[in-house]
Amino acid sequence: MMSPAELRPFLDELERFADGQMTAIEQEAFENRLLHEPALREAYQLYEQISADLRWVAGHETLRHRLVALDRRLDQRQTALVRIKRRQRRAQTRWGTIFTVAVVLLLGLWLLLRPGGRHSGTSWQDYYVADPGLPQSATLDEHRPLLAEAMEQYREGHYPAALHALRRVPTDNLGADTMLYYNGIFLLSQGDGRAARPYLRRVIQQPGTALSRKARYHLAVAHWAAKQWPEARTAFREVASDSLNPYRQAAQQVLQADVLQGEE
Amino acid sequence: MNQPLAEALTHLRMGNQTFLINFYQDNRDHFARWARRQHQQEPAVAHELLRAVLVDFYDQVIDGRLTKLPPDLRNYLYGMAQEQLQAQKTTAELPRVEASRRQQLLRAFGQLGADCQQVLMYFYFRGYNFEKVAGKMGFANATVARLQKANCLRKLVELRARAMEGEAPSSSPAA
Repeated sequence: MMSPAELRPFLDELERFADGQMTAIEQEAFENRLLHEPALREAYQLYEQISADLRWVAGHETLRHRLVALDRRLDQRQTALVRIKRRQRRAQTRWGTIFTVAVVLLLGLWLLLRPGGRHSGTSWQDYYVADPGLPQSATLDEHRPLLAEAMEQYREGHYPAALHALRRVPTDNLGADTMLYYNGIFLLSQGDGRAARPYLRRVIQQPGTALSRKARYHLAVAHWAAKQWPEARTAFREVASDSLNPYRQAAQQVLQADVLQGEE
Repeated sequence: MNQPLAEALTHLRMGNQTFLINFYQDNRDHFARWARRQHQQEPAVAHELLRAVLVDFYDQVIDGRLTKLPPDLRNYLYGMAQEQLQAQKTTAELPRVEASRRQQLLRAFGQLGADCQQVLMYFYFRGYNFEKVAGKMGFANATVARLQKANCLRKLVELRARAMEGEAPSSSPAA
């Protein structure tokens, strides 16, 4: 068979024939020549063989190119996925850190600014269990408006006003023990333990009063507020040992905390 | 599974390569893991190997060396990969003259520019007419596409002629 180099002179014609570029007359003439010219016939056979091989090469290369392009696309997709995952992880870490720092800061802030715990300090106010005052039902009686006002002022923390109102309550309208008791309570609540003590003492001395046990606790606190440590300790011990005293537990906590000491 | 696979063989013979493209997309990662486990191959090398195997498989189908689809295609392809790695070819091969002629043309084809390769692939493999080739390649019209194709074919024939001339003195004494 002829070599590809020998194909050169026939290539134009063979291509026009193979690609259907000839007119019907030209095509017929070319087919005639194929029958009679051995060199042309051999060139045509070589051309056909090259075309067949080229079809194979083109298919082979098309698949190879498509696979390479697909491979590149898959690589890019994988890289993008890895990048997205990494970014998500980084964002999660960042938000996690921010959240943790915020929580720690808030916790720190809360620890710093929280209202002092009931038993965190050593002052009597930290341990004092205040009297709730007379309930509204007991004071709304039309004959005791001043007592109601005194209790309202007391509950709102306006102790001098509460004291003023209490002292205006007619004595025939209120038991002496109650009057003395709340005088002591209001004075103690405004921080004047020394002044509160005589009132509370007199309540205790009243025979058969129901306020006696309560008054003992408040008197103990009044001793503490007045920094009368021995009296305070004795009074608290008494309350703590009295199983009927409603403030027994509060007194026990004070004694357990061992805070009744200081300069007199 | 068998029916679509049998159809796939027919489609491949007709030039529809989608089956192999899908196979590559679905099995690329699996093959890379297999190649790493069995032959300590890096993923990029394994991917290249799988592509070569798929092209080889395609050639087998097109050449008629493979007339029946293997019952387990994945096993068959992985076996081909193993053979390539161990350089022990057991699958049917083309007669040496034909294989050498095609390889020679493949090498010459590789020396053409990218545009020429594309034009020839469109015309000879896809079977596009000149009008469609012009549309795909951005040529002005079908005549330009025809002239481009003629020009590329000439270049290919020249490259092949030159390659044969280069090989002739050394191959003659051996023959």
